[in-house]
Amino acid sequence: MSEPVVTEGDLAEMAEQVWVSYLDPEGVNPLVPHGDVKQLSEVHSTVSITGSWHGHLVYASSQNAARKAAAAFLAMEPDEVAQEDISDVLGELANIVGGNVKAMLPAGCFLSLPTVVLAPDTASYYPAAERISGLYGVWDGEPVSISMWQSVKQEASA
Amino acid sequence: MKILIADDSRVMRQIVTRTLRQAGFGDHDLVEAADGKQAVDMAVAEKPDLVISDWNMPEMTGIEVLQQLRAAGNNVKFGFVTSECTAEMQQAAEAAGSAFFIVKPFTAERFDEVFSPILG
Repeated sequence: MSEPVVTEGDLAEMAEQVWVSYLDPEGVNPLVPHGDVKQLSEVHSTVSITGSWHGHLVYASSQNAARKAAAAFLAMEPDEVAQEDISDVLGELANIVGGNVKAMLPAGCFLSLPTVVLAPDTASYYPAAERISGLYGVWDGEPVSISMWQSVKQEASA
Repeated sequence: MKILIADDSRVMRQIVTRTLRQAGFGDHDLVEAADGKQAVDMAVAEKPDLVISDWNMPEMTGIEVLQQLRAAGNNVKFGFVTSECTAEMQQAAEAAGSAFFIVKPFTAERFDEVFSPILG
């Protein structure tokens, strides 16, 4: 099987930029990959990519990690963060990584607005798509993952 | 100066505001728009000196906002802060009259570099 269009290493680089910029500017609490694809999540967000490439980018984490991310984005304490802020940040995380992923894909792709689901990523199904790469790890003891799903139909016709 | 920040994410509007402050531009008058249509309306009603816009927004995209403003003869200084950074988008932005293109995630240093010549 050929290497995916966006690899785990690419996702790790993008995640590192997000962590350094917003989630861990002091560089003390990075996302530590462990590669366990069966890691459980509690919330997730998705952006879809269409055009010259078809698929989805999925950001998933525990509720605690999402709350901590919102707190870091807003420079607040985790217990001060509203559910609305958590949803907003989850969507923005998928949007930021999705936008950077798009830059690696063939020209002519379109990125959707993010969809946020306050349920495990296993609650969403992507018909006719399969996971082609993923970054799975822990941030401050909490599970976080970023995965790429590609349209099977497009791959078959490529 | 008055700055209009257009982004459908309230959190991202706050981050842009905070980063402007960190980069030393905290004294300006800031107004916010939560989607593309509101950005057009506020760019007309509020007469900002600068518009900092997301690209992918409900109602109208950022590039549509810029195009509509220019078509109406509004030459407000306008640029993008977006997670999307393809060459085709940067070219489209430039062709429409965009003054800058900042890619998310961004830093205060990047804001300083882009906005110092504009905001002084």
